[in-house]
Amino acid sequence: MTTATLHPIWSYVQVLLNLLVFLALAPLFDGIVRRVTARVQSRQGPPLVQSFYDVLKLLGKENIDSTGILPFRLAPVIAFASMLCVIAILPLAGRATAFTAYADAISLVYLLTLGGVAVLLGAFASKNIYALIGASREMTTMIMVEPILFMILLLGVLKTGSLDLSAVIYGTPMAAFGLPGMVMIAVSLFGLQAFVARQPFDMAEAEQELLGGPFIEYSGPNYALFKYYMMLKQMFYAYLPIAMFVPLLGTGFYLADLALQLVLTAVVFLLIGLLSATHPRYRIDQAIRYFGVLFLIALAAIAAAVVL
Amino acid sequence: MDTTIYPHLQTGLAILLGAGLITPLLASKRQLAGIVNLLAVVLAGLFFASSAINVLSGPGAPASFDLQLAGLTIPLLVDGFSAVFLLLIAVIASVVALYCIGYMQMAHYRHYSLRGFYFCYPVFIAGMIALVTVDDLSTGFTIAWQLMTLTSFWLIRFDHHDPVIVRSANKYLLLMQLAWAAVLTAGLLVPGCGWGTPLHYIAEQLGTLDVGLRTLLLALAFLGFGMKAGMFPLGQLWLPDAHSVAPSPISALLSGVMLKTGIYGLIRTLFWMTPESMPAHELQYWGMAVAVIGVVTLFIGTSQSLKQVDAKRLNAYSSIGQIGYIILAIGAARYYLGPNAALHALALLAILGAFLHVLNHAIFKSLLFLCVGSVQYTTGTKDLDKLGGLFALMPITAIIAGIAAIAVSGVPAFSGFTSKWAIVAATLLSGKAAGIFVIFGVIALVTSAMTLATYVKLYGMTFTSVGVEWNTDGNAKVQEVGKLMLAPKLLLTAICLLQGLCPWLFVALFGRVLATSEGVLTHTLATPALLATLSERYAGVAVSNASGTAVAFSLPLVMVALLVVAGLFARWLKHAGGAQTRQAPVWLCGYQTLNNANRYLSSHIFDAFKKFMKWTGGNVRA
Repeated sequence: MTTATLHPIWSYVQVLLNLLVFLALAPLFDGIVRRVTARVQSRQGPPLVQSFYDVLKLLGKENIDSTGILPFRLAPVIAFASMLCVIAILPLAGRATAFTAYADAISLVYLLTLGGVAVLLGAFASKNIYALIGASREMTTMIMVEPILFMILLLGVLKTGSLDLSAVIYGTPMAAFGLPGMVMIAVSLFGLQAFVARQPFDMAEAEQELLGGPFIEYSGPNYALFKYYMMLKQMFYAYLPIAMFVPLLGTGFYLADLALQLVLTAVVFLLIGLLSATHPRYRIDQAIRYFGVLFLIALAAIAAAVVL
Repeated sequence: MDTTIYPHLQTGLAILLGAGLITPLLASKRQLAGIVNLLAVVLAGLFFASSAINVLSGPGAPASFDLQLAGLTIPLLVDGFSAVFLLLIAVIASVVALYCIGYMQMAHYRHYSLRGFYFCYPVFIAGMIALVTVDDLSTGFTIAWQLMTLTSFWLIRFDHHDPVIVRSANKYLLLMQLAWAAVLTAGLLVPGCGWGTPLHYIAEQLGTLDVGLRTLLLALAFLGFGMKAGMFPLGQLWLPDAHSVAPSPISALLSGVMLKTGIYGLIRTLFWMTPESMPAHELQYWGMAVAVIGVVTLFIGTSQSLKQVDAKRLNAYSSIGQIGYIILAIGAARYYLGPNAALHALALLAILGAFLHVLNHAIFKSLLFLCVGSVQYTTGTKDLDKLGGLFALMPITAIIAGIAAIAVSGVPAFSGFTSKWAIVAATLLSGKAAGIFVIFGVIALVTSAMTLATYVKLYGMTFTSVGVEWNTDGNAKVQEVGKLMLAPKLLLTAICLLQGLCPWLFVALFGRVLATSEGVLTHTLATPALLATLSERYAGVAVSNASGTAVAFSLPLVMVALLVVAGLFARWLKHAGGAQTRQAPVWLCGYQTLNNANRYLSSHIFDAFKKFMKWTGGNVRA
């Protein structure tokens, strides 16, 4: 289902391009959210590149290790690496990379889980009560939210009969999704804040009560990796519904498709910023019920897609 | 046909039974008895392995063999399918026997005689071997089942000073006798069949019966084997109690291989006892029913596992959950084998998933029980509320347990991944042709997130975090277990990693199993066209559709390579700023110190989620 066969070298260049787009834009998109939040609160807000500065600054700061065991040091590296792998296999703007052919939709979901596992591993290694409370909430959110994300992809699986990522994401024209597609777009909008772990679903980090939750004991370069991981993950989750549901332009120009997708992703981030600035945080038990309902709606959409 | 298959099998069994008589005489010398037991099990294991390899490398399914024993005729059959179980039992039994040498010298067992233990151990193994090689549901089955059940009962109640343990063991014995009665009834009630009737004849007779009686008889056999395998709701009755009170190496055997004899029975019932003269829709009803039971088992079992604070109970409930995946795959395969030929490729994938998960689960669950056993050996507790921080104290066990824990969670490139991938892909790809299976696949995915949560908790609360320093009696020094207990775990870890990184080896083995067995699986699935949809290469396994396009793939080696490269980049980035590292104590908001009262306990973790899932049962200290 890949649009065109390209020279093999090009598909490796594509991997680098994917990484470049995500590594460069994720902090900027994060900047949008910070800026929007500030405006809603009648503040000036930091410059768009502030999140970049934060990561650079953290990379040079002192690295404090409160545990002295391997899992604590390994966790940020695994989290960041797993997200890079996800990006490397993602067919950005309809074009498969050299590695897309080596991972299917199930592998993608499990790779995303690996990042979550790494965060939890670090939190559990921290010996800190707040980290453990945060980890407990993070894992609970993951159990409920990951299947919802997967069901969005599953719609593509059902239409094309394939788990290949290019086919799953781009193999079906929007109109062919029909009613289940409409429901799933609604689901992904209502699940958006949970996917990107922003208010009202930032129970795990919850600065005001848990002081950063799983990341409380992290500082310096370790924390920089975690921060970068969170921003990349946020961009991936905001990008995925766009790729799934907004058709490519079909002009044949890769850059035009890419530009459109990224502009739309930026719009999604505006929405994320607005929602998180205007919604108070849920308690974890409230959030579970919310996800439960969302899960059932998504499951109903899948059932409808199977029957229709 | 190779003529050594059955003689080697009998020699192996004779060695085990002989060891059961001799080793107890040496029981006063604990280490010596352990070593003799190990040698006997390994020697017998070599005979079983030779028999199994002869079968698997043969040109086709071997003929059955009638063993004459004290005037009884016991039909034996070692086909490719039995051979794999033979190998599995031989490997795990040998590794666990090695572990027993060290473990049974635990301080807690000082005042227990090992005579009974070393009588039961080899006989238990012999019983399991016999169960997967007898070819009837009456004489041979009874002998094998009773050997296995009675000895495992004594092994479970080894620590008999505790009335709770004795009660759990009694319950186990009672339920296993009920299961035996159910299967035996099914075998004897078929008209024209009596003691010692081989399975293929029973199947033929079943084909001539009317639907009601046939369904009843199949259901009885299914219930009996399902009870053994841990199927919902029967598994919950005995499995967590029995598995959590037995000595850890025995728990490893129970979870790792004994449950698999139940799976063996289920597969035999569903694919060998269902004659091809049965109407296709009836077979599909069976497949659907089994798949539903599988989904319920995996969901309920895993969500109960999530709630446990006793490490061994947690593992035991998780075994129910993992067995659920296998039952789901078996049911799906049975359903897909119907008249719609387009689904046959998925039947192949589903049964491959079941096969891989049997092997993978046997290894990683044994490994987890051995790790928990090591923790119990050195700290004296298996209560997750009391453990914590063992990574610094027993690093090798911690790393091994970490590998096993991510294997059971199905993290890519570790052993649970490919088997769960095959099972989930087989359900999802059915699409409109078998719609409900897509929903089953989604539930299986949710459940694997819960499995992950369970093992993050087990691992986090045992090896990382803090706690053990405040909860062991001061005179016991917590340290890494000896080489004698590390070696068997390292062996299993090596197998576990091999399963994860090179699934193609086991897919190739699966191909041999199909080629050396008779029956509906071989007839329908082992056709060149279908086998071509399943391509194994060094990097992993891929499934293609009828037009030859790859539709699902699991390539662990590529993923590992990607992760390593990405990890190296991350490491470079981490050091790019030239930051200094400093050790500093944990900061608890300035006015608290880290002590036992300021700890987040295992029973608090996932509290909101546990309340949300309260309806699934298995609650602890609610």
